[in-house]
Amino acid sequence: MSATSRLKRKLGDLGVDVSSSKANESFCFIGTPLPPLEKSRDTGEFVPLWKQEVRDEQGRRRLHGAFTGGFSAGYFNSVGSKEGWTPSTFVSSRSDRAKQKAARPEDFMDDEDLQDIRDSKKLVDKADEMDLTGTTQPAVEDADQSSLARALEAAMLPDAADSTGARILKKMGWKLGQGIGPRVTLRQRRLQEQLAKGLYATLDDIKIGPAEEEADKHLYPPLDIPVLNVPRKSNSHGVGYHPGLGLNATLGVSERSKNNSGPKISAGFGLGALNDADDDDVDIYDRSIEGMRMRTAYDGGDDDEHQHASKPKTTSGSRPLSGGTTFLNGTRVLAGFTLSDKPVAEDRWFPLPDVPPGWTPDPRRVWKQDVSQEDEGKENITASSSTAHRRFDITADERGKLLGEAPLPAAPRSVFEFISQKDKERLKRVASEIASGTPGALPTNLSARRTEPHIAQAALKGFQPFTSDPVKQARYTIYLQSQAAMDGSASNLTPALGQRTDEFHKEMEDYAKAALIFKPISGAMAGRFTSAAVIEQGPKVHEGLHKPVDEDIEMKDAEQKKAEEKVSPKVHAARMEMYGALTREVKPWQPARLLCKRFGVKDPDPPAPDSTDTLVGNKSRFTSGSEPSTSAAAAAGDQDDSEPQERKKGGPRDLANVGLGEDDTQGQDTLTYQRPAMDVFKAIFASDDEDSDGEDAKEDNEEGPSEPPTLSVPAPNKEKDTEMEELPSLVPFANTRNDSGAKLDLTSFKPTFIPREGKSKESNGKVKDKEKQEKGNEKQSGNEEKKSKKKREKKTAIVSFAMDEDGEDVPMKEEPRTHKKRRKAKNKGVEEEQKPPDDDDMWVEKPAPDIVKDLPRVSMVVDGEEDQNRPEKAAGPPKGRKRAIDFM
Amino acid sequence: MPPGSQAPALARNVHVTLSNHRGPVHVARYAKGSAKYILSGGQDRTIRLWNAVLGTEIKSFNAHGYEVLSVTVAHDNATFASSGGDRSVFLWDVATGVTTRRLAGHMGKIHVVEFSQDASVVASGSFDATVRLWDLKSQSRQPIQVLEEARDAVQAIHVNSHSVITGSVDGHIRTYDLRMGELRSDFIGHPVTSVLPTQDNQTLLVTTLDSTIRLMDASTGKMLNKFQGHKNESYRCRACFGHGEGSVLIGDEDGRVWAWDLLDGLILPPNPPPTVHQKVITWTEHHPTDAGEMITASADGTVTVWRHPE
Repeated sequence: MSATSRLKRKLGDLGVDVSSSKANESFCFIGTPLPPLEKSRDTGEFVPLWKQEVRDEQGRRRLHGAFTGGFSAGYFNSVGSKEGWTPSTFVSSRSDRAKQKAARPEDFMDDEDLQDIRDSKKLVDKADEMDLTGTTQPAVEDADQSSLARALEAAMLPDAADSTGARILKKMGWKLGQGIGPRVTLRQRRLQEQLAKGLYATLDDIKIGPAEEEADKHLYPPLDIPVLNVPRKSNSHGVGYHPGLGLNATLGVSERSKNNSGPKISAGFGLGALNDADDDDVDIYDRSIEGMRMRTAYDGGDDDEHQHASKPKTTSGSRPLSGGTTFLNGTRVLAGFTLSDKPVAEDRWFPLPDVPPGWTPDPRRVWKQDVSQEDEGKENITASSSTAHRRFDITADERGKLLGEAPLPAAPRSVFEFISQKDKERLKRVASEIASGTPGALPTNLSARRTEPHIAQAALKGFQPFTSDPVKQARYTIYLQSQAAMDGSASNLTPALGQRTDEFHKEMEDYAKAALIFKPISGAMAGRFTSAAVIEQGPKVHEGLHKPVDEDIEMKDAEQKKAEEKVSPKVHAARMEMYGALTREVKPWQPARLLCKRFGVKDPDPPAPDSTDTLVGNKSRFTSGSEPSTSAAAAAGDQDDSEPQERKKGGPRDLANVGLGEDDTQGQDTLTYQRPAMDVFKAIFASDDEDSDGEDAKEDNEEGPSEPPTLSVPAPNKEKDTEMEELPSLVPFANTRNDSGAKLDLTSFKPTFIPREGKSKESNGKVKDKEKQEKGNEKQSGNEEKKSKKKREKKTAIVSFAMDEDGEDVPMKEEPRTHKKRRKAKNKGVEEEQKPPDDDDMWVEKPAPDIVKDLPRVSMVVDGEEDQNRPEKAAGPPKGRKRAIDFM
Repeated sequence: MPPGSQAPALARNVHVTLSNHRGPVHVARYAKGSAKYILSGGQDRTIRLWNAVLGTEIKSFNAHGYEVLSVTVAHDNATFASSGGDRSVFLWDVATGVTTRRLAGHMGKIHVVEFSQDASVVASGSFDATVRLWDLKSQSRQPIQVLEEARDAVQAIHVNSHSVITGSVDGHIRTYDLRMGELRSDFIGHPVTSVLPTQDNQTLLVTTLDSTIRLMDASTGKMLNKFQGHKNESYRCRACFGHGEGSVLIGDEDGRVWAWDLLDGLILPPNPPPTVHQKVITWTEHHPTDAGEMITASADGTVTVWRHPE
């Protein structure tokens, strides 16, 4: 106490505040201090092992308990979220492609890995590596710059890695890959190349060809030949002597590098913090580890190791020393030495001789020698084979006997040794009986291998299963022949040379089975199958290395010759310059119709089949199925008028002909009709369909009340058609009349107004203009399309109409004659003056509303007219009728 | 003129050399009518219009993306068609210098293109072994007809009033006769590079790659005469008739212009002719009316107009 008080006083004298806590600090500790209240960051603090935590440099826990994540590398340490890996939503990178950068391995590494990488990087001395190509330029840190920035930087920065010498050289015009020195001529350059190849040459030997005239005008940099770097000799050894050269080095065994610091850990996984490099972690594929002995489960050299454990291993890669090794001649190797398994002197290698130019291999010559040698050899082999084989057939026991070894104590014991003598004798007896009985047993078996003669005969004719093996096939044929000939006239199959009897029987059985299987199927069944003949005819596949056989080459030669001979007579004639009939081929050729038109040439072959096609099509749509003669009638229709006359009277009317009238020229017109451009059709038909629907509706509405101011128009057809569909009983009349009426109207009325009263008569009298008619047809065809659909359903009804028609037709047939004449007369006049022949004129806009107005009139007129007009229409050549479908 | 040779001597004096083309000239053709102008097409993807008398270039037609291999002039000189590596036929308006139509459809480069007599149809023969006939009157861009009989590239086409004659590398001359509706194919045995009928359409002048020109009878297919001496083994050299069809001319691969008497097949002097072009002469065409003028186009990049000395 007094001491402290004295000290205090002393301190107070010095001017120190005695009452401060510092002055009162006590340096004595008694007992164990309590842990501090708040967690201290004292790293030196003792923590029991189970409480220790491993943390990384950022203070995050590295190891977790098994139930809290284990060794968690995912969420807790680097990536992901608490919930786990969240899949990222797709974000289009299209707009910012330029910013995009390729993923680098570093992106997937955590800090430790990066640190590892940094550690593993070795500093490279800039002086000893000249970066001539600039490939090592992009470093890790500037990789996240954009490519543009990088390129700019590369352009602006000097080539850092170039040595001063290289830079000077480059400034002087030297380029990588060139030699240093003044430029040389082409000749000198060639000489350098020759010398570099190790060939001796002088400047005079170098020849510059005429093709290189241009090249000869230039000078070339000298060849880049590495300067021979002679190391400075700083010792006093003889030339060629390397100090410290071991015996192994002289033998060509390279010394292993001895700087292995430790075992190489297999790549991919680091070692745990608490683990040592274990056997499992060591890269077992690392061949640099000395002594693979460590890897084996049982080490045969364990004993030796104990002996030499203390010794440092001086001889690397050597086997454990053992006193037991001997030279080949039996003398023991000195202790401390090992036997090298490498030959002392290297084998000398001789380069292959140069193959003279133009030499082609002809193996036949060699084969012939082989053949002769083989013949000699065979005899030798047969003679020596027995002994030769015997030598390797020695069993272990025999070898042991030869060597004078004592036989092993455990001799094999047979069951027989346990059998009593009596039984043995009985067994012997039985065996001998069996042996003597075999000849008798064979035939019974053979009977199973018999083939019925008729089957054998059939099989002879049928599929041959063994075509790939000619020998077997021949034997099979012999077998079948022997079986087929019941009287035994054919020779029986005999066992092949060296074939055992059981093999022979097996073969016979095979043949019998094959005959049963492959005999052709008899009778009606045979016709249903065809044999796959191709299977066996493919090239025979030889296994192993292909070696051309004599026959192959001969066959190829023969084929070549054959190919030469097999030139067609045409080629032969051409070769002989015998041009003419032999070299000429004439074939029919159908030019496109448009082409003919463009060339102003008549179509050489008007498409007759095509027209009949359309006819048939028409028929199927417009005639009843019960009419048998329509096609004939239709075919006749385009010939002349005489036929139609008859048909007018009694023959069944073909609806396809309706509306054509009696004009002969109508058919021709449509035959030579040139198809307009597709657009025209589309324009017309596409709109027409829609329009017509609208029109129909309109017509239906307006039909009754409105009285027309009569501008006649062809369109009434449509109207009628729709009517017809609704009222089937009226169909034929309405339809036919309508067509004619429409056409008649067209000619006369289209351009002009006409009094309503006169119209019906006039329309009768008017001759149809061809083109107008065509237009009518076109329109009609549009309607027909529609019609045909419904007609299919109402086919039966149509049939009945056709009959009706016929009945009505008969009495009225006189009338049309007169009309026809008038029509013809008018036709000429009207056609010539009114209508230019151009197709396009056909497509004049038709006034739709007029049709509607016109309707009621027409329908009234019909009754009288229809009969008269009908026959005319029938008379028209059916060929000319074109439907929209024909043009599509 | 000596009695032996009816043909007038060949014009062998250079009148003017047209050398604006860069790279080989593949074709050079006279305009129709009085033929005062020349159209040439070459590897440099241009077609050039020249005044043959003055030797000046009037216009350059640039639209091709590949080499120009063939040019044909319409009867009215208002339009012409060209073809080449583009795989489409280009129709040009001469005055404005723009393409009026591009007919695509061939699968390979088009070696030859030819108008019909009234330029309503253009025929094109291609490496894809087809001949396509295109309609120019309608707006259709589809060929009227495709002739697919050839087994190899079509190198020559001639269209006359009623037939289309094609020569193919497969060694055939095929005459598609529109009037008869038949196809006559004559086997020559060597790749055919040019076919040119006489005015009367009775005979055909056929150039093949065996260094031979043959005069074939169009009706029977027999050979009437054979002209040899020049070298033509790997390039398309076009042979033509001299004035009045009295002689046969060709510029060969050595750059010489050869001439034969049509009837006796003898080489007209000088024999051998001098080398006038550095490289292969790809096209030879005689003036349609003027007896003393002809043109040759060569791979050395020049077109030469030849005339008699004044």
